[in-house]
This record gives sequence, C-alpha cells and structure tokens, in this order.
Amino acid sequence: MTAMLFKIDFKSGKPVYLQLVDQIRYAAASGGLRAGEPLPSIRPLAEELRVNRNTIAKAYTELESQGVIETIPGKGCFLKNGNTPFTKSVRHKLLLAEIDEAVVTAHHLQVDRETFLGMVNERLDYFERKAAEQEPQS
Amino acid sequence: MKRNDISMNKPAIEISGLTRCYGKLEAVHGLNLKVRAGGCYGFFGRNGAGKTTTIKCLLNLLRPQSGTVRVFGLDPQKEEVAVKSRLAYVPDAVAFYPWMTVRDTLNYFASFRQHWNREIESDLLKRFGLNLGQKAASMSKGQKTQLALITAVCPEPELLVLDEPTSGLDPIVRREFIETVIGAYQSSDPENRTVFVSTHLISEFEGLIDRFTIIEQGRDLLTMDADGARDRFKKISARFAETPAKFDLTGALRVRHSGREVEILANGNSERLLAELRSHRPEDLRCEALSLEEIFVASKELSEKGL
Repeated sequence: MTAMLFKIDFKSGKPVYLQLVDQIRYAAASGGLRAGEPLPSIRPLAEELRVNRNTIAKAYTELESQGVIETIPGKGCFLKNGNTPFTKSVRHKLLLAEIDEAVVTAHHLQVDRETFLGMVNERLDYFERKAAEQEPQS
Repeated sequence: MKRNDISMNKPAIEISGLTRCYGKLEAVHGLNLKVRAGGCYGFFGRNGAGKTTTIKCLLNLLRPQSGTVRVFGLDPQKEEVAVKSRLAYVPDAVAFYPWMTVRDTLNYFASFRQHWNREIESDLLKRFGLNLGQKAASMSKGQKTQLALITAVCPEPELLVLDEPTSGLDPIVRREFIETVIGAYQSSDPENRTVFVSTHLISEFEGLIDRFTIIEQGRDLLTMDADGARDRFKKISARFAETPAKFDLTGALRVRHSGREVEILANGNSERLLAELRSHRPEDLRCEALSLEEIFVASKELSEKGL
C-alpha cells in the first residue's frame, strides 16, 4: 500500500487524522489493503502528504484502538486479520452516520428512494466483485 | 534524558503581555502566546504585524519593554546561551560569510554546537544537490536557504524557529524545504521537536500546522487548533429555483446575496444554517471548510464580531 491511495482535503472540515482513518478503513474494505499487509511508515507518508507526523501517528493510534490495525514493535503497523472487535450495534451505529449523510445528499440532488436503493445495491455488487478479483488464488 | 523530563511539562514558548516599540511606533503590543512542546505552531500575520519583532525577542536579539518571554521556561535575556543551545533559527534573509564555501560554513556552524548529526548533513547535501566547494557569495537565494536549513536541522534542536522561510523561493525549493522540516527535523524524538513558523504563505504549511495564532497590529487576534478552526468556520453556498422571500440567518458571520444564490460564512453553527437553507428547498447546497489561509484573510472580520 502506498501513499498514492490517500488524499487529504482540507476543505472537507473533517480533522485530517480522521480523513486518514476513513481512507485506511476504506482501503481495507475494498481490498486495497489486505490482512497482514503493512501500512506505510509514518515519516515517508507524512512527507508525501506534507502533513505533520503527529497527524499520521494519531490516525494509526485511532485505527489501533478501533482494532483495524496492529503495531508490531520494530516492524511497523499491519492490517489486522478478521473482524473488528466492535459489537454489532456499535458497528451499525458507525455506519448509520454515513448512511444519513448519503440520504441527505440524495434528497438535495432529488434522487428518489428507488434510485438511491438501486445505487446502493450497485455499489455493494461493485465492492464484492472487486474483493473477489483481488482474492489470492488458492 | 533528564533535560527532556524537565521540558516535557513546560511549554516550548510562553509569551505574555509582550510590548516592544521602535521609537514611537509600537511593533508588538500586549501579545500573548503559548506553544506546547512537540507540535508545529503557525504564527500568521501581514507584513509589519509584529512577527519578526516577536521572534527577535525569543532570541534576545531585541529586549521586551514590558511583558515576559520564556523559552523552555527560561528567560532568553538571562539565560541566553542555555536557550540558544536548544533552538535553531532560520531568518527570512539568510546571510553567510561570502568567502566561505559550503563545507567551511557547515564546519563553522557545527563548531558552535555540542551535537551535530553528520548523517543528516550528508543526506540533505545530497538531496539539495549542494556543492561543498561552492562559495556562499555565488549561491542563489534558494541555495542559501537550503544551507541555512541544514545548519538549523543538523544540531537536532528541540525548537526550530522559522521566520518567513519560504518567501521568495521557487515552488520546488519550497516543497523540499517543508518535506525536510517534516522528515529530517522530526526524524527522531518527534515528541520533543517543536516547530514555530511565521509565514504569510499559509497554504503550503496547512498540513503541518496543528495550532496557530494570527497576529494583527502587534496583538494576538485569534488562536486556535487547525482542525478545530476548519471545523468551526465554513462557507455555505446555496442556489434556489427563485429568489426566496426571507431567511433566518442570524448567527452567520457574513451573508452575501447574488440573485438566486446566497453565500454564508458560518461560525460553528453550520448545522442550523444548513437546516434553515434546506427548508427553502435549494437546487444546490454546498458546505466546505475554510482553509487556514481563508481564515487568515477573514480574521479581521472575525475579530470585529468579538471572537
């Protein structure tokens, strides 16, 4: 995984470290980052994105506390295998906020319920396909 | 290390009520500032706002007329050597002895320091492509700034003070400069490496800065965390099918109408303002954070509203 996968947008109003957290979780969900693969180390990533090293460190600490990654001393950070240790209801709550945002945007853009649900299904298919393609042949 | 144990609890820089005049002209008037160790602090202001005067007081190049200045908890006037041995300074206009070569200059600066990281020195010389035999007299402004940065980073000081470091440099040299500050300077012990940068080229340092103060006419106008500021100040723009009759936009810092469009500057109340605009069924509604540069440009307006 390289820094190329990340993009910081200062105009989003979202703290920079949270943008990184979201993008790493996205990469993990979409197969851009697989279990056991290392995350970029802090210094080169900070230089590449031209953000403070503390910001990257904070993002990695957050991901670790969410159970997404683990730090192996002397080796770096790696994507953890398997499920996040969140309970189902907490995981649902995390997702709800994101869904609400999309629902509000759909409303503004005058996308009706049927089209919206159709789009959600289409995206679910897309990610499933993508993850299947990247699955190592075994 | 014992030295770090002591400095951990103390802010890297603490200024209170600083005043300094040149004759009748007040350059700094009652400035307050506190920079915690380990962060990158932006000091933004227009030309003549008092940035350089403040920095000179940190280095005991100028004496405050009133107020206190503390660096690592020490008074730079009384413990000048103790303070200066723990910081490095890159001024806006760098001057070296013109007859010295790059090698001579580096040796000369290293002779004042207890510690000098030769590895960082050779890495940065290679990165910047500086020729060891070249004399300072024949170096470009960009090359002199690069040399100054090497002399500042190699002693691995706890505090790096940068005064308008990238003004007048080309974009590639600027980029390398910032990458060096992020990478080489903080390569070890980042918790105890503090950067204090004064600049009006804010967008380049946007990602680096975690807290900032805007100085205006010698006073601290606004001090905030960068993430907090971007969360609080938002620009909302909406377009309607036809000009709506009336909005309740109380609490907006600024409202601009232009035909069917309206642009609002929100101050921590973007949710309420968005809801109000939504209730009028806009065709298009956008909300984005102000960048630190836009906050700087709007800061006078912000301060007039009592922020």
